[in-house]
Amino acid sequence: MLKLIISHEARQIMRTSALWSILALLVAAIVFAAWSGGRSIDRQVEGAQAATAYEDGMRNHMRADTEKYLAQVQASGGEYQFAAVRHSPGSGPPQGTNAGAVGAETSKYVTLPPTGLAALSVGQSDIQLNYLPVSMATTLDVTKNLELENPVNLAVGSFDIAFVVIFLLPIFILAMSYDLLSSEKERGTLAMILAHPISIRELMASKIISRAAVMLATVLGFGVIALLTVGTGLDTADTWTRFGLWMIATLLYSAFWFALAVLVNVYGKNSASNGTILAGIWLILVVIVPQMVSMLATTIYPAPSRMELTIASREAQTAAEKNIMAKLDEYYYDHLEIIPEGDQKAMDFLTLSQANNNSIEKALRPLYDEFQNQLNKQETLVQRFQYLSPAIMMQLALNEVSGTSADRYEHFLHQVYAYHDEWKEYFSTKFLQRYPLKPADYDEFPNFEYEEQPFGVVMMRLIPSLLGMLILFLGVMLVPFVALRKYQVAAR
Amino acid sequence: MITSIARKEFAEIVRDGRFKWTAAIMVLLLLTAMMAGYQKYTTAVRIQQAAQAGTNEQWLDQGDKNPHSAAHYGNYAFKPAGPLSYFDNGISNYTGTAVFMEAHKQNFAIGRPASDQSAIARFGDLSGASILQLLLPLLIIFLGFTAFSGERESGTLRQVMSMGVTNRQLLWGKALGIGTAVLIVVVPCILIGALALSLAESIDHADSMGTRLVTMSIAYLMYAGIFLFLTLAVSALTRHARTTLMILVGFWAFTGFLMPKAASEMSKFMEPTPAFGKWMADMRAHQRRGFDGVPPFVKFAKYTKEVFKEYGVDNVADLPMYFVAVRLQKLEEYDYPVFDQHYGMIRDAYAAQRKVQDRFGLFAPTLPLRSISMALSGTDLIQHVKFMSDAETYRRNMVVKMNDYLAKAAVDLNATSSSSNYMRADEEVFAIVPPFEFEPPELAAMIAEHRNNFILLALWLAAVIGLAVVAANRISLERS
Repeated sequence: MLKLIISHEARQIMRTSALWSILALLVAAIVFAAWSGGRSIDRQVEGAQAATAYEDGMRNHMRADTEKYLAQVQASGGEYQFAAVRHSPGSGPPQGTNAGAVGAETSKYVTLPPTGLAALSVGQSDIQLNYLPVSMATTLDVTKNLELENPVNLAVGSFDIAFVVIFLLPIFILAMSYDLLSSEKERGTLAMILAHPISIRELMASKIISRAAVMLATVLGFGVIALLTVGTGLDTADTWTRFGLWMIATLLYSAFWFALAVLVNVYGKNSASNGTILAGIWLILVVIVPQMVSMLATTIYPAPSRMELTIASREAQTAAEKNIMAKLDEYYYDHLEIIPEGDQKAMDFLTLSQANNNSIEKALRPLYDEFQNQLNKQETLVQRFQYLSPAIMMQLALNEVSGTSADRYEHFLHQVYAYHDEWKEYFSTKFLQRYPLKPADYDEFPNFEYEEQPFGVVMMRLIPSLLGMLILFLGVMLVPFVALRKYQVAAR
Repeated sequence: MITSIARKEFAEIVRDGRFKWTAAIMVLLLLTAMMAGYQKYTTAVRIQQAAQAGTNEQWLDQGDKNPHSAAHYGNYAFKPAGPLSYFDNGISNYTGTAVFMEAHKQNFAIGRPASDQSAIARFGDLSGASILQLLLPLLIIFLGFTAFSGERESGTLRQVMSMGVTNRQLLWGKALGIGTAVLIVVVPCILIGALALSLAESIDHADSMGTRLVTMSIAYLMYAGIFLFLTLAVSALTRHARTTLMILVGFWAFTGFLMPKAASEMSKFMEPTPAFGKWMADMRAHQRRGFDGVPPFVKFAKYTKEVFKEYGVDNVADLPMYFVAVRLQKLEEYDYPVFDQHYGMIRDAYAAQRKVQDRFGLFAPTLPLRSISMALSGTDLIQHVKFMSDAETYRRNMVVKMNDYLAKAAVDLNATSSSSNYMRADEEVFAIVPPFEFEPPELAAMIAEHRNNFILLALWLAAVIGLAVVAANRISLERS
């Protein structure tokens, strides 16, 4: 019986032009979103490549100079020497022999590779630059660069598939199902249908199942097409596992909105009232609650002021400069192995600035950590309050699955900080020892390889959101399941 | 006649439970948003003022050093909050707040608040502006969508018509009734907000505040009017209240949520912003090879020859100015056109994107209103671009002053081969660089810049009023 009604219902909705226009809009939105999400990721990749190519090119240039110099020295039988830092062309050994010049004046770009699904949910990746220049400069210099996107566009946010799923899909779902029972009732056909041997629950279920099937087939079909066109790493299991999780999240989220439509329908108001109520609920859950939670997070755990940080960092810089000799002693104390012979303390620019940077970094570390602390507290608060709105759960889930979340970026940053220390240590030691870099040394420079978050971590962060949506869906579904018993079939 | 229709409509709305609920939510949200905005604004003003004063102090108190080193130490420009940013925060979360102004380098503004916020901030700010831009239209739709189609369904339209009311009277009466109900909700909140703000001492009252507020109010009233007449028009054109609602809510989602993003993506496609890495690499390479293809050092060698010839000397030691400082300044200046070109490219891309997005206002009235609201609040792109260019002007002036001072004061160092570290300047010398001050763009210029957006809003309003009049005239009882 159920099958019969479903097929009847499916035939019926297939013939309504409203359905086709809704589906057409949905498909158009998905295609547009895939296209723009793909462009956003392409742009990041292009930027990372150009920056890397430039800096690597500069270093290769220096290396080529040392090769020439080495050949020259070997030919003439002289000594392979260390060059002092200079900022204009000159004679003598090339700058490439000076580890300070190589390590401070060229950078190594480290990249957070996008996951296969990054184009589907741009998330925070448009404001967090995913390629950072590591050099002997301070942590501030490593992390200060921003992607050049127009702030107006950033404020508006990306039109990616996550937006289509979180914002638009519910609208389409509600538009299809806000008058499930009410329209039949208004037309007077409900009583007629129920005169047949079918319960109202079965009728409701068949209506929902047929609509959900059409809708989800569209989303799944075009989701796969989108992934195939703009996704990357399609040959890896990781991408498809992530995509599977993406689909589960989408399924749960859609199920909630269908259930909500049913819930509102069983209270027996007319179609127009149902529409008003559902539109209002959409606004509250998708727009207002997330904005309120965001406001709560930034009010309870506001980030410290970047302006105050700047002032403090200048304070540290001035203090460092004013007693530079004391700082230099301190610096040598930390690097006992490199005190120059004969206790000749270096007075050149690079040594001083090294000592300077180090003391500034020491003074500022706690301030930087404070930013990350507050951000983490905000994230924790959002995690806790996410259950207030399926849209928040969905956004957290999709960013997590697509690898465009704040915690993956933090995971990346920690590796960058460690690499930054390694880089500084390598070059400053060689520099302070006045060790002349040879061409072969260039192969020994520290290398960066991003280590992906363990999948378990991603899952652990994902599960609360998915479970939350499941419970919300079941809770919303339960009410009409019980209430449908008492549904008034005849129009009042 | 019109007033009695309006009175009936008004009474009916106000007595409706739905109105009470939505109105209560709206008032609560507006007041919350205004309070939070106000709190944020005062903190921002206090911090910015303290920071700017602090960095100015630090510039003077940086310790005795070579003037060029002082220019390396540099100074910071901190961006002040826009005069109405507590109402509309605009793009402030997504623009940097501090520009480091130092020798040799033009820098971007760093410290973007959004980077220090959780991803949920991407749902947008709850602000007075966002409530009036998104919630207010929905309130109008909810109050008005049954105006004609609902009466038709319940059969009262026939009765009303039988009393000799003309279609047009009915339209204006209903518009007046619904409009009053909406204003009753919104206006007190705005007044309370404005009163609280005017009593607060910490707010720096911009001279043009009155004009700003009036222009802002007119823009929002026009926007509300667009939705009011659109609602009435659609209600008159459709047969069932639920169809009216579907169409209106669909349009609301389209203009408020879909179009801003679609317009932004389209503008990025038509006028792409360069990627940071690509842009940076291009600019660095351009600096190295020289703006016109002649590397800076080659250019400077040529310049040196010219100077020697001009002064009839063949040794730096005989020159009447400290030539190291001249060189520093020359190299600085060789970079100006490179910076102007590459930074200008970004500025132009943003401006072109703004133009593209403005054109989409033809399809979505929320777009022109949003631009106008940000502009009047002093939180839009034009404001930010002006801030960046003020900072760059300041930077160049600061570096010139320091290098010039060095060139004049250290002439005797020409004879030594040693570094310039022997020349030390103190606070008195640093004081020849005046403190940084941001000159916000003139309000009149801002309004002129957004002329098209005002025209678009007016066009929208005229079009929907026209539509409503036509639709009301077409109402006939035959179809019901």
